[in-house]
Amino acid sequence: MNNKIKFIVGSIVIVLAVVVLAVQGLQEDSTMSYSKSVSELHILGDRAKTLSLKVNGDLKKGSITRNNLDLDFVITEGASELQIHYIGTDPIPDTFNNEMDAEVVVSGRLADNGVFNAERIQAKCASKYEADYSSPGFEEEA
Amino acid sequence: MADLGNILLFFLFPASVFTALTALAAGYTKRRGLLEAARRGAYVAFGVTTLAVLALEYLLVTSDFSIEYVASNTNLALPMFYKVVALWAGHNGSLLLWTWIVTIFSAIVAYQNRHKNNDLMPYVIFVMAATMTFFSILSIFISNPFDTLYQDLGNTLQEYAVPDGRGLNPLLQHPAMVIHPPVLFIGYVGAVVPFAFAIAALITGNLGAGWIHTTRRWALTTWGFLAAGIVLGGKWAYVELGWGGYWAWDPVENASLLPWLTATAYLHSVMIQERKGMLKVWNMTLVIATFLLSIFGTFLTRSGVVSSVHAFANSGLGPAFAIFLTIAALFSVGLLLFRAKDLKPDEEMQSLVSRESSFLFNNLLFLLATIAVLWGTLFPVISELFTGDQITVGPPWFNNIMIPIGLALLLLTGVGPLLAWRHTSAETLKRSFGLPILGSAVFVAILYFSGVKDGWALGSFAISFFVMWTIVFEFVKGARIRSKNSGDQFFKAMYMLSRKNTRRYGGYIIHAAMVVMFIGFTGNAFNSETRAEVGEGDTFELGPYTFYANHIHHAENENYSSETLELEIRKGDRIVTLIKPEKRYYFASEQPSTEVGIYSSMREDIYAVLSGMSNDGQKVIVQVYRNPFVKMVWIGAFILVFGTLFAMLPNLRETKSGKIVQESKGVE
Repeated sequence: MNNKIKFIVGSIVIVLAVVVLAVQGLQEDSTMSYSKSVSELHILGDRAKTLSLKVNGDLKKGSITRNNLDLDFVITEGASELQIHYIGTDPIPDTFNNEMDAEVVVSGRLADNGVFNAERIQAKCASKYEADYSSPGFEEEA
Repeated sequence: MADLGNILLFFLFPASVFTALTALAAGYTKRRGLLEAARRGAYVAFGVTTLAVLALEYLLVTSDFSIEYVASNTNLALPMFYKVVALWAGHNGSLLLWTWIVTIFSAIVAYQNRHKNNDLMPYVIFVMAATMTFFSILSIFISNPFDTLYQDLGNTLQEYAVPDGRGLNPLLQHPAMVIHPPVLFIGYVGAVVPFAFAIAALITGNLGAGWIHTTRRWALTTWGFLAAGIVLGGKWAYVELGWGGYWAWDPVENASLLPWLTATAYLHSVMIQERKGMLKVWNMTLVIATFLLSIFGTFLTRSGVVSSVHAFANSGLGPAFAIFLTIAALFSVGLLLFRAKDLKPDEEMQSLVSRESSFLFNNLLFLLATIAVLWGTLFPVISELFTGDQITVGPPWFNNIMIPIGLALLLLTGVGPLLAWRHTSAETLKRSFGLPILGSAVFVAILYFSGVKDGWALGSFAISFFVMWTIVFEFVKGARIRSKNSGDQFFKAMYMLSRKNTRRYGGYIIHAAMVVMFIGFTGNAFNSETRAEVGEGDTFELGPYTFYANHIHHAENENYSSETLELEIRKGDRIVTLIKPEKRYYFASEQPSTEVGIYSSMREDIYAVLSGMSNDGQKVIVQVYRNPFVKMVWIGAFILVFGTLFAMLPNLRETKSGKIVQESKGVE
């Protein structure tokens, strides 16, 4: 019986340790990001500046400008626009360029000047046949 | 051919329904004739699905672009090899592959057990045929790979063919991606076999160890394939996606990890049941969980519930999968509750410091890991339900939990095998652990003073050293004793020793593989990277290396055009190697693709990505990563597969006259 209690106590300690790690992980807000579209982001207003965000929208064609290693572009949703400044270090995805229609997800934070500082860019491209086909085929975010 | 394929595939539905119902009737009436009919039904299902797969292959190879699947996933200029493997490049085709593997496994199980397990077999075939029925419905009615292209002519729809297909997604044109899906699918589908036997045991009430013995090899095979599939997925991401890593706690990666975690827990806890008759309910739970998580993984990849780099586009299969999962879960949990009173343990736990308790802690940790990964993966869904905000938890959250759990599990692989069953005395503990602990302490001190200051990394290296020591010592100690008794030469003694208990020593080999992989994972603590814009003749530096941009050139073939940077890596005055990161543009799919340049040594990988051209087109932007010990992950995976195969070998046994024979009892 004594051993059973020891085992149970040991198990409880382990479970509690993992719960603490899980909760602690949620306190650091860099690990949590809120998924929003461009217009939802505008509805959030100033609260948006306090959150780590994943914003999705369509890449505005021709809006990509490069200056040395800097990269700026605009994503849109309907009439809403969001200016993005890329501050990340990872290579940008293959499907991300001025010629293609791309659906973009940027991860980062909204700065006080209203520009979104993106640490990561994910792009999903609209495939060439998709309009003709009854169901879309394989798609991959890059 | 498309019509023929469709007819063949359509025949799978009645075949699997017939098999399921006949099997159920065979179980109920206990008539051998019915069981025989159900068995034949499984063979027929396998036959028609195989022919359907061949029909689709024919369409792919002959580039019949009136078929939507062929037009979406191949094109004329695609190399023949990729036309063949395009079978699993898209959602519909890969679902057919899934279905096919289910029918293959059902047929094998039906054949293997044609003279035995007659009490369990009706329900085993029933469960497998029910799964088959579900997948046949998906393949035939929702995601049929034989669908033809239609165009809308005002009020009528007319079939038509496009002149050339859209081409295979460039990201998939890689050898690892070619074998990754089938390997992973075999792992996923393999989970259905132990599950079917467990359910059969629950239905019939034959709850002895019979079903466990029969499915031991299946469980091990499933586990090995899952592990290999996960690593191949990582390898593909590393080589093809070009962000310098192989694991990002992406939802689909997690989905493949989940059944592997529960399957690993099962492979351990089942030993307790065989040895001690304990944990019977728990083992059933793990087998059921592994099956459900395998289906869940397939669902997650195809439903669009969470977004992922590996996922198929939303395919409309979500509701069907949700229904199947719910039915399977309710059915199996209900059965388990119904039988719970017959699954009493034969013995009680005796000591906290014993082999049994180390297995229990192992299982507790695997369970917590499973819950944590599942929770993190579904967090966007859960948070949206409760707060209205879709919140994603990133890799730091997973690492925060999984690194400590992983290291604790690794430590147990070193400690567990040295603990005796029932109880281990303090004296034995000192004898077994004194030296390895001292050894790893010295090892860590050396590392610390040679500049490794990261706490987690030091902990991980210490544990790795300790575990490797105990494993090697097990082999050496056993071989020494055997060599003394039998007069065999040392290595022959070691071989004979392992072959006489392949399960135990195969297990040790797998543990050693995990140590090697953990060293690879720990390398992540020392990653570094840099980015530079270079023209021909420019240089930049990272760590001890100087990178010299030799040459930038443009090339074209019928499949794609490319820009390549020839990058020379120098260390001091010595030229280490030349790597060629490349950017391709595929004509058919109109998609660019990154080909990374990798220089891989035991010590580290130098990984270069061409991330873009400068505005004037004269310079390129290159990103270089320095990732220590990545190779250990791939080497560890090879050792793991070897260990798994070794554990499946039949044991050798010595007869009294000294002859060596193969044991055949009790394993399938």
